[in-house]
Amino acid sequence: MRPFLLQVAAVTLINIKSMPQRFWLSLSTVMAIALVVVVLLSFLAMANGFQQTLTSSGADDVAIVLRGGSQAEINSTVARDQVRLLEEAPGIARDADGKPLLSAELYLVVDGVKRSSQTKANLPLRGIGTAGAAVRKGIRIVEGRMFNTGANEIVVGKALLREFQGLEIGQVVPFATSRWTVVGIFEANGSVFESEIWADLPVVQSLFNRNNIFQTVRARLQTPAALDALQRFVDADPRLKLDVKSEAAYFAEQASQTSDLIQKLGWPLSITMALGALAGALNTMYSSVAARAAEIATLRAIGFGGFPAFIGTLVESLILAALGGLLGSIATTLAFQGFSASTLGASFTQVVFSFSLSPALVIEALLLALAVGFAGGLLPALRAARLPIVAGLSGS
Amino acid sequence: MNDLVLISKNLFRKKLRAMLMLFSILIAFLIFGVLAGFERAFNAGEDVAAADRLMVVNKINFTQPLPIAYVNRVRALPGVRQVTHFNWFGGYYQEPKNFLIVMAVDPETYMQVYQDQIEIPVDARQAFVRERTGVLVGESMLKKWGWKVGDRVPIMSNIFTQKNGSRTWDLLIVGSFTARKPNVDTNFMVLQYQYFNETQNLGRDLIGWMALNTTSPSANDGVAKAIDQMFANSLYETATDTEKAFNKAFAAQLGNIALMVALVVGAAFATILMIVGNSMVMAIRERTREIGVLKTLGFSGGRILRLVLGEAVLLALLGGLPGIALAALFAAAMETSVGNFIPGFAVTPGIALNAIALMVGFGLATGLIPAIAAMRLNIATALGRS
Repeated sequence: MRPFLLQVAAVTLINIKSMPQRFWLSLSTVMAIALVVVVLLSFLAMANGFQQTLTSSGADDVAIVLRGGSQAEINSTVARDQVRLLEEAPGIARDADGKPLLSAELYLVVDGVKRSSQTKANLPLRGIGTAGAAVRKGIRIVEGRMFNTGANEIVVGKALLREFQGLEIGQVVPFATSRWTVVGIFEANGSVFESEIWADLPVVQSLFNRNNIFQTVRARLQTPAALDALQRFVDADPRLKLDVKSEAAYFAEQASQTSDLIQKLGWPLSITMALGALAGALNTMYSSVAARAAEIATLRAIGFGGFPAFIGTLVESLILAALGGLLGSIATTLAFQGFSASTLGASFTQVVFSFSLSPALVIEALLLALAVGFAGGLLPALRAARLPIVAGLSGS
Repeated sequence: MNDLVLISKNLFRKKLRAMLMLFSILIAFLIFGVLAGFERAFNAGEDVAAADRLMVVNKINFTQPLPIAYVNRVRALPGVRQVTHFNWFGGYYQEPKNFLIVMAVDPETYMQVYQDQIEIPVDARQAFVRERTGVLVGESMLKKWGWKVGDRVPIMSNIFTQKNGSRTWDLLIVGSFTARKPNVDTNFMVLQYQYFNETQNLGRDLIGWMALNTTSPSANDGVAKAIDQMFANSLYETATDTEKAFNKAFAAQLGNIALMVALVVGAAFATILMIVGNSMVMAIRERTREIGVLKTLGFSGGRILRLVLGEAVLLALLGGLPGIALAALFAAAMETSVGNFIPGFAVTPGIALNAIALMVGFGLATGLIPAIAAMRLNIATALGRS
């Protein structure tokens, strides 16, 4: 066994040492595979970043209540009477004063100007009550202050500031005839709320002619399991034709739509490109075998087996693929990790997110690269193993 | 023996290598064709926009409403030929994932303003005006759901409810319409505004947006200014823009699709440029001695240059043309399944011509270095090299 392994090792080493002789051809294979990996990883990082932003938004112990069948906050309406009924519902946590932690909100779309394209885009303006920030966890004003009740003041999510212009502290933003001053910037653990503008609910209601209209109700639950009690309460009351979901479930649903779509574009594209790179890899490895025909035949003549030649060629191909995969992963990380972008979310407003690579995604991409290397090395390796000795020796 | 025969003999001397190069070129042009078709479909709204059409939306955002009373005030302005209005219905069929584009319109003015885009048979026109619960359904929507004219379809809304609490409107398909231009999407339906306004429960006499035709594109700016000034400082201020600008901004909301397409196509082309370029250099180097022989026989340097460049261009065309054809087939096959999401997805003659230009350019780029090397080759060195 040992001499056999030594043979394999020796031939593999020869293969590796001969790679610089085919420098440009090998490099082109490495680059081709690297580009495949870059394309795949940038799509996966985009899908993953979007998904992370939305899933980090939803809490298990926050219930979101929408009008039945409305699917997204923007489509929903909830009447004041319904909000009153919900305040008495079971399962809702209460604050120190015994008031339910419940926030009836208005969700409107306003125009903002995207920095990158200088075109108008839909931004969400959320009117929240006093409980609005308390119902959500992890809301923190990082600059300026919270809006005052009754004032035409807005606070802007940190992510929104990155992608849209004219929302810095002190700026005055006109929404129709009303003018609003930006008084604060808030963080929300990188969640989708950082893509929103918040203002005092009654002010938004009156300036937008939506008196006594709400769109959604958010409630902090005593425990995540209390959702069932709330659900039963709503189902039992014919005045409440409403859908109750945990916020986590609501955002998970929205996240999957968009990120599935991005992945459905990314994978077929990358696999098609990988086929192109495979042709390159095959070409390189056949050239490698042809260039070393005399060498392989000589080794066979002095007693080496066909198998070491097979392994040597396959390993060379896998090394090229691994180099390409690593190069592509590093390039994608440098170019796209944390890259900020925004797209239309399910509520018809912009969601700002950052491209996010994870080790699992990099492993997926490396596996694709190695698959190309394996497929690209297999047939040439078989040819190397079967090379007739006489033909090889007389070849050049 | 003419040069073309010589070129193709040279190209296929190593069959396996030639096939591999052809395949990678095919892949690159397949990707180019599909993505260019996708991008074109994505920006189709810009292409189909009429030069004399303006969109009037609420200044806060186009999802905010306007009062119906604005329509007649806009109609009275000089320079306005006809104006119509829309409400977004938020429609779906049977379950929410079967999303439908449904809009409530004023039948007469809608058909006048959009006559440049859609063709409606006369009897369908009359029936749409007459029948209160009637809808006109675009040809591609009709096909997609297997509906027929005369069917009554239950359409649900995720925004509105009827006064009786129901979320379903039973609508009668009174006719269908077809596109007048290739890029116009017909995957939508329109119902009567009056019926919609009387039955729905959220705010009365509001509209979503207006579309109008001006007397000529040169009147656009003046009309737009006049409209926005007329409603300035009112409860509902307006923002008026050309249909083209409006559609462009709308498409840009999804993200920078053009940049994404450019990056992916760029990566695909860079890949084959390296693979094929290197293989060409290698292939010509292997033939050094032969080129020496050709030169000895009296082939001029220029003819050698043309031979090598011709080989590279032939390779690019033989790989690229099937690639584009495959992309066209793919787009045609996908049209029904992705039509809802990206209407008008197709590889157009324009895209194909671009691709052919790229193939020639690509062939010249990969062939240039080995061709110049071959042209300059000294006979003595060539024959001396083993």
